[in-house]
Amino acid sequence: MELYSPEGLRIDGRRWNEIRNFECRINTHPNSSDGSSYIEQGNTKVICVVQGPMEPALRSQANSNEATLEVNLSVANFSTTERKKRSKSEKRMVQLKTTLERTFQQSVMCNLYPRTLIRIDLHVLSQDGGMLAACTNAMTLALIDAGVSMYDYVAAMTAGLHDQTPLLDMNGLEENDMSTLTIGVIGKSEKLSLLMLEDKIPLDRLESVLAIAIAGSHKIRDLMDSEVRRHGNIRSSKLAS
Amino acid sequence: MIGNRKRLSSGLSVTSKVFVRSRNGGAQKIVREHYLRDDIPCYSKACKVCHDIIKTDAAGELPRFILSENPSKTKSGLRHYIVVDTNIILHAIDLLENVSCFYDVIVPQTVLEEVKNRSFPIYQRLRGLVKSEDKRFIVFHNEYAEATYITRNKNESINDRNDRAIRKVASWFGTHMKTNHSENDIGIIFICNDADNRQKARAEKIDARSLVEYFDDLPNGEDLRDLIPSDINSGVDFHNENEASFPEYYSNSRIMAGVKNGTLYQGMLNISSYNFLQGTVQVPAFRKPLLIVGSQNLNRAFNSDSVIVELLPKDKWREPSTTIVEESNIGSNDNANDEDEEDVGSAGSGVVSDKERILLAQEALKATSSSAGVQKRLQPTARVVGIMRRSWRYYVGQIAPSSVSSDDTGNASKSCFVILMDKVLPKIRIRTRKAKEFLGQRIVVVVDSWPADSRYPNGHFVRTLGEIESAEAETEALLLEHDVEYRPFSKNVLDCLPEEGDNWVVPDLVNTDDPKLKKRVDLRDKLVCSIDPPNCVDIDDALHAKPLPNGNYEVGVHIADVTHFVKPNTALDQEGASRGTSVYLVDKRIDMLPMLLGTNLCSLKPYVDRFAFSVIWELDDNANIVKVEYMKSVIKSREAFSYERAQTRIDDKSQTDELTESMRILLKLSKKLKQQRLDAGALNLASPEVKVHMDSETSDPNEVEIKKLLETNSLVEEFMLLANISVARKIYDSYPQTAMLRRHAPPPATNFEQLNDMLSVRKPGLSISLESSRALADSLDRCEDPQDPYFNTLLRIMSTRCMMAAEYFSSGSYGYPEFRHYGLAVDIYTHFTSPIRRYCDVVAHRQLAGAIGYENLDLSHRDKNKMETIVKNINRRHRSAQFAGRASIEYYVGQVMKNNEAEHEGYVIKCFNNGIVVLVPKFGIEGLIKLEMLGDVNTAIYDEDKYELKFTDLQGKERRVAVFDKVNVDVKSVKDEVSGNRKAQLLLR
Repeated sequence: MELYSPEGLRIDGRRWNEIRNFECRINTHPNSSDGSSYIEQGNTKVICVVQGPMEPALRSQANSNEATLEVNLSVANFSTTERKKRSKSEKRMVQLKTTLERTFQQSVMCNLYPRTLIRIDLHVLSQDGGMLAACTNAMTLALIDAGVSMYDYVAAMTAGLHDQTPLLDMNGLEENDMSTLTIGVIGKSEKLSLLMLEDKIPLDRLESVLAIAIAGSHKIRDLMDSEVRRHGNIRSSKLAS
Repeated sequence: MIGNRKRLSSGLSVTSKVFVRSRNGGAQKIVREHYLRDDIPCYSKACKVCHDIIKTDAAGELPRFILSENPSKTKSGLRHYIVVDTNIILHAIDLLENVSCFYDVIVPQTVLEEVKNRSFPIYQRLRGLVKSEDKRFIVFHNEYAEATYITRNKNESINDRNDRAIRKVASWFGTHMKTNHSENDIGIIFICNDADNRQKARAEKIDARSLVEYFDDLPNGEDLRDLIPSDINSGVDFHNENEASFPEYYSNSRIMAGVKNGTLYQGMLNISSYNFLQGTVQVPAFRKPLLIVGSQNLNRAFNSDSVIVELLPKDKWREPSTTIVEESNIGSNDNANDEDEEDVGSAGSGVVSDKERILLAQEALKATSSSAGVQKRLQPTARVVGIMRRSWRYYVGQIAPSSVSSDDTGNASKSCFVILMDKVLPKIRIRTRKAKEFLGQRIVVVVDSWPADSRYPNGHFVRTLGEIESAEAETEALLLEHDVEYRPFSKNVLDCLPEEGDNWVVPDLVNTDDPKLKKRVDLRDKLVCSIDPPNCVDIDDALHAKPLPNGNYEVGVHIADVTHFVKPNTALDQEGASRGTSVYLVDKRIDMLPMLLGTNLCSLKPYVDRFAFSVIWELDDNANIVKVEYMKSVIKSREAFSYERAQTRIDDKSQTDELTESMRILLKLSKKLKQQRLDAGALNLASPEVKVHMDSETSDPNEVEIKKLLETNSLVEEFMLLANISVARKIYDSYPQTAMLRRHAPPPATNFEQLNDMLSVRKPGLSISLESSRALADSLDRCEDPQDPYFNTLLRIMSTRCMMAAEYFSSGSYGYPEFRHYGLAVDIYTHFTSPIRRYCDVVAHRQLAGAIGYENLDLSHRDKNKMETIVKNINRRHRSAQFAGRASIEYYVGQVMKNNEAEHEGYVIKCFNNGIVVLVPKFGIEGLIKLEMLGDVNTAIYDEDKYELKFTDLQGKERRVAVFDKVNVDVKSVKDEVSGNRKAQLLLR
């Protein structure tokens, strides 16, 4: 399979620095949750639902200094072409869950909500590469919808390296064949709150990969921002009337 | 099926491809995104609009426009670009590569993908054409272009949809050219060999033509018509009712199932060089190879095809034939009958169940693993039931004179036979109108097909090389036969060379901004010299030595710094990687890298500054390594010696200058190194290599000489070995998974079985032991025949043939104990010292540069899979270069012998029941003497256990000839009228 043709086109027809079709909605489940969102990055589709800040069910979850974040990640059996039963205690799932918790512990102003629990439920409906990035983006939007104070958007994006060429926003086929870097960028800055590389990328090439991933994340931030503003405008117009 | 298109931004929209894949019986629906765009250019220089839409790639480069603004014309004066269909590429790739036609070709992406799925080698050749830009091929990504993307209609087959997509490309280009190229009127010709598709295209107002129609409309069409492959040349049918038919191959599913449950085996077919109707297949399941006898059992397989075989019932097992069979009498359409036609019917008819087959396999396993016993020579036989991959390539041969009818006057094409140079291959039937013209010429053909109902494979003519026995034609023929790339370097390769060309000089090291230059060590004060064969122009190694105050010696080996010029991932690097090695022929050298580098910029010429990669040791008096350092450096060689001159200088006691003294140090140390090596068990094998001297004026070969070795030869060799070993350790240390190394496996005992058997029968008391390389070396030393000093050398030559071949590998693919180089008796080894002529050394240089922190190692040499492909290629290239070199010597030896026939000493090295093989050391040739030439065929008795042939010779005397016997033979060079090969003919005195 040729992932990147000599003419500079990728397997799905994109160029090296193009992101996939990005769709997002917030406040998708207004009745059953405090905040919710739905995200499509290409064929990767994620629903996120936030409950809280609320009183934790267990005493042990209460921290007198700040809020506790609890992420539950569930990947649907039908999310890949081959149906597969997945358990929540799978090592990879646990790893992703902790990664997400740690990422947002930094970005959410947890000290504003001491002794509370914020529960985030993520449902991956369909996987086609960049699952961690999509989950991060969905969480950002759902937390914003829930009105939880954050320092800034956390926008995540994947990038990989094909020979000498960095490729932005990998789809499933590309992700299988190349080492993939996932980063989460805070707002419009170049500060990273998430960096995940499960394979090797040579050090001298890393910078170029990081550079396009950051540029891609900024694009994602803008797209999420416009969705938040669109939703905000609808709300405020309702309030006004 | 297709989803709806959704516009994302200007010029980009997304849709989805949905398809169903079956895996393990179940169906899976797969949905993939598919982006359509409007920034794919037409790549035509004449286009006015496409320059505005293009975008840069990651390196910031814009796509190049390639299609000429002034393309070639047809007879009717139509300037045109060509759109090709898949079947044209698959069947006529040779024509696409031909320099006299097919310029400005548009390859639709649909076609490219179809080609890739059908034949990967052809795809690679096509990609090569696109890349080289010489013939102005472009790939147009129609599937990603909004204007040309089409969706599959209901009830439309995928093939019909693809045909429609290709037609769409042709029509899009047609309108695009008309609207956007004002002054030049360029037409689009769609070439397709499917009549139905052509008709549809014409209905869509596309200028569609078949290959024949297109050539008819070309000014040089007449010459091209013969080159059209047989299977797409309409109206040609080789079918012949009278011909024998071969069994059909098994279906794919049956093969897959058979291989899986162990009843069928896959392996590479190796046809015996003495009997073209007998082949062997080595399969991992058995220790000894399976025998395949007779053309029906070989079932249309070519030598070195990857085949699927099935065991034959036990009563068909047999000993390997001791008869020599050559496809020699070629005349009528029918000849060379199989020696065992009777085997054939039963082989096909006998119904054997899988269960029985498994029992049979166990039986076979028993037979192959027990070397002793009654049936020790009985071998399991098998037949070919399928071919996984054909090894078809270009073949060189000549037209069989008898197959051309003399009365033919017309211009219609006639079929005739081409006899290939390679004796183990069958002859090929081609159709041509110029058969008479080609008589007596070397011609190149390709095989197109071998249907079951045809006795011979069908092929077509590609081009002619020239008269048989003209030096150029023969050289080119043997390069082609050995698959050596000998075309001149293409432009984009030459573009990678330094702009200064021959005027390049070493830049100033001190006042420079280049951090890499600053890392170089200035070694210009060292007394470096090079020692090479006379008239050597590509000097890739030089040496220096000097005594140190502490009584030790400093010794340096300096290797041409090729990687300074050959940067990874450039066209130059890729060309070098694909050539793999330089090829040395008697009268010609085929370079791996362009001349400018090999003979000038990299070559460590005397009296000038050159970049080098240096290994510097501190050696003690016994040549043990105290310290070793590696560095990129600048050196200035003081002198370039030939082996002889270096030898005389060292021997001349009156010379006491520093340079000579340092050479004496080198010589002294090298002798110690050699002794250490021999003590460790390094082998001293022999090959019957000879050297051909050319007359300096007429450049005719006039003398053959057995290669002589001087002390200085071994001086250079020892230090090169030392450098290779030191470097191997260093790069393995730094890159344990991907270091480029070379190993030499110990020979399996079975290889020596026959030789040892021969020894025990013919030379009682002598044997070769195989416990270790040391034991082997010692036992070889012991094998002396007091009466015959050459016997030992003969045995060494024969042992060499029982050895495994050394191979390149990347360190990740074997465990450390298997790195061992058996012949040199070292635990780790690589090739580092000849980067001008070997690609392995280039990789080793880069890895060493990475290991010492000089520069970052390129990714491709850190990736296991990429190293694997590099290694595979250089191993293959190395082998074919060796064969080509030998074939060239053989040809010239034949030319020398033409003029001096004489009687020489020879040794019998093989005995068959109808002939013997004799090696003549003087010329390094071996030849077969058939029984007919020896004496009376009917009364001859072959004693197999004694390797002895008893016969009455032509004078009526009784004679016995056995293996290892010294015989006198008349050596004569004769030309085989049929195949055009000149061969040494030997006659027993």
